[in-house]
Amino acid sequence: MAVNSEQTADRKAMGKIINRYPPERRYILAIMQDLQKQFNYLPKDALQMTAEYVNTPMSVVYSMATFYKAFSLVPKGRVVLKTCDGTACHIKGSNIIIDEIYKTLGIRPGETTADGDFSLETVNCLGACALAPVLVANDRVYPKVTPASLREIIEENRGRRDESTERE
Amino acid sequence: MKVTIDGKKIEAKLGETILEAAVRAGVEIPNLCYIEAFGGQGVCRMCMVEVKDGEQKRLVASCTYPITGEIEVQTNTPELQEIRRNIITLLYRRAPNSDFMKKLYQEYVCPAVEVVDPAEKCIMCRLCVKACEKVGAFAISTIMRGTEKRVATPFDEASPSCIGCGACAEICPTGAITVKEENGKQEIWHKSFEMSRCEICGNYYSTLPVKEHVKEQLDNEVSGENLCPSCRRKKLAGDLAKFSIK
Ligand code: SF4
Ligand code: FES
Repeated sequence: MAVNSEQTADRKAMGKIINRYPPERRYILAIMQDLQKQFNYLPKDALQMTAEYVNTPMSVVYSMATFYKAFSLVPKGRVVLKTCDGTACHIKGSNIIIDEIYKTLGIRPGETTADGDFSLETVNCLGACALAPVLVANDRVYPKVTPASLREIIEENRGRRDESTERE
Repeated sequence: MKVTIDGKKIEAKLGETILEAAVRAGVEIPNLCYIEAFGGQGVCRMCMVEVKDGEQKRLVASCTYPITGEIEVQTNTPELQEIRRNIITLLYRRAPNSDFMKKLYQEYVCPAVEVVDPAEKCIMCRLCVKACEKVGAFAISTIMRGTEKRVATPFDEASPSCIGCGACAEICPTGAITVKEENGKQEIWHKSFEMSRCEICGNYYSTLPVKEHVKEQLDNEVSGENLCPSCRRKKLAGDLAKFSIK
């Protein structure tokens, strides 16, 4: 029961997002971006609804959804931690940060915590090498991260949602 | 408009691709992802040629480069040979498990490489995806990107739009797509199809949804007979013989 009503509510929310756009193929990306923001991933139902709405084969929508790194087909954490593992950050010990995240949260790059609070991703350069090693939690940037400051960052972000999604 | 391909002067139409013009002139340009009926895809880059336009020289993919002026084309310079050797080497490294690639790898005298996956066959030419599009099914597409890119159905599940025609497997140069045929069933892309039997010889020749699809495409203007291609041909020949001129 509970699952069903949750599903209906989800489908309603999906429909609302999708219907904001004209039913044309060129809006697929925009629709998927909004869906990703709302649900922290692209639910299968949502992709199917999108494909139908813009009258485009599912294979095409799926191809796009898997092509872009910004999209995920499995639920991502409410807070996505991105550690830079580019050259400068790597030299400045980003691997220590990645290890430390694993010790505290138990997730490795590409994984999400069981409570859905955090996901971890590595990126190749954030363009802020002077601040190495850099960590980004959703839209907040943390420079010169150390194992000690990392614990604070995690506490600060626990239970937080991406502010930019809280518009409705 | 006049273009020169490997020294041969030929007449080309405006907007025609270099590859098309070359084929007409009898000049062979190597390619892996080109089929006349599909047009150029620009995927494999094997068809690279050197174009000289006035003083400028550059390398272009001949299957997608439209002719718009009087150009001079070279299809087999040492530089191009090196490019092709590199492409074959890299493709072989990714997908060595087909006679097709093994042969090319030897033909192009490629250097030794450590293969990534000895069982892999797919060279990502995208011909199967194109064929599926042309059939009108749109069941498969390329998914992911970079080294993880591959051909698949959405979610790697049976696709509702797949009709089991096997056009993808038919067109695949490396035999990378598996079709299992067993007891009147054909299995492809995680989906199993009932086969249709020929009325005359009794052989299985097509899946049921394909029959429906063809009917639809032809506005139901086909006979209701279930005939395999070879029996249909024989029957047609017999029908035509009745019209022989006395
Ligand atoms: S499966 Fe075959 S036809 Fe499809 S992309 Fe791979 S090699 Fe090309
Ligand atoms: S034939 Fe031109 S890119 Fe493949």
